[in-house]
Amino acid sequence: MSELESAPQPLMRLTDVVKTYDSGEVPFTALKGINLEVNAGEFVGLIGKSGSGKTTLINMITGIDRPSSGQVVIGGAPVHELNENRLAIWRGKTIGVVFQFFQLLPTLTVIENVMLPMDFCNVHRVEDRPEVAMELLRQIDMTDQAHKLPSALSGGQQQRVAIARALANDPPIIAADEPTGNLDSKTADAVFSAFEELVAAGKTIVMVTHDNDLAKRVTRALHVADGEIVEDRKRWLDDELIEEQGA
Amino acid sequence: MIAPRWRKVARDLTSHRVRTALVVLSIAVGVFAIAVVMGGRSILLREFDVDFAASVPPSAQFDTTGFGDAVVKRVANREDVRAAEGRRRVTVRYTDKGAPKDVSTAGWETLRLWAVPEFGRGGVQKLVREEYASWPPRPGGVILERSALQVERFSVGETITVEAPSGARVEMRIEGFAHDINQVPAQFQGAVTGFVSMDTLPLLKEPSEMNHLAIVLDPTISRSAASRIAADVRDTDLTAAGVQTLRMEVPKPGSHFLGDIFKAVSLLLLAMGIMALALSAFLVVTTVQAIMAQQVRQVGIMKAIGGRQTQIARMYLAMVFVYGVIAVAFGLPIGLWTGAWFANYAAGILNFRLASDVPPRWVIGLVLVVGIIVPILAAAVPVRRGSTLPVARALDAAGAGARFGHGLVDRALGLIRGLPRPVALSLRNTFVRKGRLALTLTTLVLASAVVMGVWTVRSSMLQTVEDMGAWWNYDAQVFMARPQPRASLEREAGRVPGVTAVETWLEAQASLKRPDGSENQDLYALGVPVDTRFITPKLVAGRWFKKGATDELVINTDVLRDEPYLRVNDIIRLNMRGEEKDWRIVGVVTGQLMGSVAFVDRDALDSAISAGGSVTRLLVQGSGHSPAEQDRLARDLEQRLDDASLPISGAQTQDAQKQTIANQLGILVTFLVIMAVILASVGVIGLTGTMTINVLESTREIGVMRSIGASHASIFGIYITEGIVVGVMAWAIGAVLSWPFSAWLVGALGDAMVLPLSYSFSWIGVGVWLALVLVIATIASLLPAWRASQVSIRDAISYE
Repeated sequence: MSELESAPQPLMRLTDVVKTYDSGEVPFTALKGINLEVNAGEFVGLIGKSGSGKTTLINMITGIDRPSSGQVVIGGAPVHELNENRLAIWRGKTIGVVFQFFQLLPTLTVIENVMLPMDFCNVHRVEDRPEVAMELLRQIDMTDQAHKLPSALSGGQQQRVAIARALANDPPIIAADEPTGNLDSKTADAVFSAFEELVAAGKTIVMVTHDNDLAKRVTRALHVADGEIVEDRKRWLDDELIEEQGA
Repeated sequence: MIAPRWRKVARDLTSHRVRTALVVLSIAVGVFAIAVVMGGRSILLREFDVDFAASVPPSAQFDTTGFGDAVVKRVANREDVRAAEGRRRVTVRYTDKGAPKDVSTAGWETLRLWAVPEFGRGGVQKLVREEYASWPPRPGGVILERSALQVERFSVGETITVEAPSGARVEMRIEGFAHDINQVPAQFQGAVTGFVSMDTLPLLKEPSEMNHLAIVLDPTISRSAASRIAADVRDTDLTAAGVQTLRMEVPKPGSHFLGDIFKAVSLLLLAMGIMALALSAFLVVTTVQAIMAQQVRQVGIMKAIGGRQTQIARMYLAMVFVYGVIAVAFGLPIGLWTGAWFANYAAGILNFRLASDVPPRWVIGLVLVVGIIVPILAAAVPVRRGSTLPVARALDAAGAGARFGHGLVDRALGLIRGLPRPVALSLRNTFVRKGRLALTLTTLVLASAVVMGVWTVRSSMLQTVEDMGAWWNYDAQVFMARPQPRASLEREAGRVPGVTAVETWLEAQASLKRPDGSENQDLYALGVPVDTRFITPKLVAGRWFKKGATDELVINTDVLRDEPYLRVNDIIRLNMRGEEKDWRIVGVVTGQLMGSVAFVDRDALDSAISAGGSVTRLLVQGSGHSPAEQDRLARDLEQRLDDASLPISGAQTQDAQKQTIANQLGILVTFLVIMAVILASVGVIGLTGTMTINVLESTREIGVMRSIGASHASIFGIYITEGIVVGVMAWAIGAVLSWPFSAWLVGALGDAMVLPLSYSFSWIGVGVWLALVLVIATIASLLPAWRASQVSIRDAISYE
């Protein structure tokens, strides 16, 4: 068996992904032929300025948006080919999504928000779901707040609940769009630590961030500018050290 | 355990109370309107049929010279006759204004008396006893038909003074009230109906013989067949017994004299029911669309965490289902109650009894469909659109305002300069959500068109009454109890102070031979002078008859209802008082709610029926035309003829005639107004709902405006103005649409009543509705505007 054949298949593969928006008077190309492979267990940070295309890129991975051309294959599934219905089922089981503004449903309690993905995707037995959800809340130290409505929680608490919700169906991938963008530095650090623990537990994480300090803690940093990946740095800290040593 | 998504549905319902209340109210209004209109209509139609059939209406009636029991028995024994009953009909005058010494100066009213042999036990035109002290009435006692109570406050035990054609005056005691659906209600004929026993006739110096025969035939036979049997009864049984038939009537089987008005009311109710259904559906679509717009981001989140289109759609459809169930729970009982009230009210006016005011089951089924299925169907489109929205777009939903500015209308609004900034903002806000604006406008435009259309129908009816006034040019007319010499009548009338012109007419019942051999006996030949100054006929075809023409006649449009094949220049054969004669139709004039009439030259009619110069009706014009002057003239005329021993059966002023016609048309206007109020309410609730939802959606914008210095009053003003802009737009479009709508309605009502109504567009209605719309729009916007002005900046910015 050759070395090429024995190499593990990437968990995510994006090939020549272009995304053009026609909504304005002049079409705007947000992604210009992205090629990207991400392996299982990586903690990938997408960094770049506002409007660079990083949110569009993560939306391609989660299937929240579709490419104008190119292919997006995640965990073997051709995401760009799935219809809305199959996409929803696939997403519910494969990817946990965390948003910048938490996006908890305001009329559901904390534990109900966490159980909602299980309900939609019919994961876990109905009677087991509260226990599974409570276990997830225990992991983020939110059991005391389980029966409160989101409006009663602080921003950091809401984001931790959003992470618990993202983990509800035990997906292999977590996609987070600026999950710390709306939090103070101390809370952001705690949320980031939670992501690091998930990576350590074997999850693959793709996270958009504009916080350079946090970006340095990911295992792989992709710098996006004008719809292109202009820099792909693995082991950010190690590389810097190597460069420094080399110099 | 309830799944979280169903808990979300439950919490959305309970936590957004204002929104839930609005949607429930929108659906409930539709449910209410349908329950009232369709429930009321179905009760009326069903009970009218039941009551009418139970009364055993006559298949044919004969006004004759006197006859006895033997004739009735002979007719009843015929194989083709199911029942026969003889009565004596006598038209008298009555007054309840005091002792006989005052009678000569008091106003007389007409009382149509029926002397009934088998009181309440006969097989035809059954009487239903209501309140009474004695049954059958004692000699000198009278049972009044209950519709008498609509024109005067009679009470049991009260005494009235009655004057018979013989001149005999009798004090009659009112012994009770009965219902007879076959009698024209008092307010429609301007006369009261009463029933007495045969023993009362001698007191009135009336013969004890009967002069009216009613027969009942197999109800399944055609009118032509009934007509042939009736003619045979006349020719074989009555004539053979020496009884002369003065008038014979064979109504359409199962038809009632108020059938045309009833048909018109029923048509109106049906039209309004359909409008209510359409309005309700629009309202539901508007509100559900607004809910989906509010929920779009949450839909995006649910889809992002694995929610499927069908799951999400089901959640929102379930929500709409619950709205529907709550709306039906409120709207149905209130609607059914109001429908029953409406049916009772209408039955009271039309004078028939309701054995039950419970609507048939299909009405409840229809209400359930309208309250539950229609909202779900109406919601299906916005729910589908919302649930299929791509996640990225759903999460990116930036509020409707962000999309403003691209369309033609937006750019045109942007070009309007010189408006105060808040007014410009209100105007542009109105057009931000064009889909919702279109739906709200549709609801309000329909309501506006109906309300203004109803105003036009009302004005057309008043115009019709006015036109009738122009048609008739008399101040008072007197009907003679028997034909009287023309010269005597004209001489006596000319001696009455204030009389400026006199005319006499001759009437005769006529029978028209149809091509199929059957007869139409429900026809009057009216002999008038060729140059009559007392009517101004409106010709719809042909011409008026010529002076001296002995065979020309002019029919009215009522004749065409029964004989639609007739044309100008056709020759028809009329049988009058046993004499047959051919006449040529030279013209057609509009009917004036006076039945089927053929106008002929008075002298021609005189010679056709050998009247020998006698006449049956006297008409006069006076120097004054006010109602009071007409009343005085009629009284003086009656007194004069009394003094000259010329027997009168009744008198009428033109104002009273107009009032009678106005009463008949007024009933329709009453129904129309009730329906218009219901529809206008639907429109008001729709506007309130839209404004409230607009405010909810604009909460963030309100916060921004507040943060840059907008006062409570400014915010309040902006939303009030927005409501008024919508209201005025609906008024303007509704005013345009009300023209074809009212033209159709006026035409349909005219067709139903066989009375061509004079179309008169109501500009007053348009003006009044504008004023009302301004008030309504302000009231509808008050609550939402107040809510908007109370929004705090912090709440506004954090609003999701």
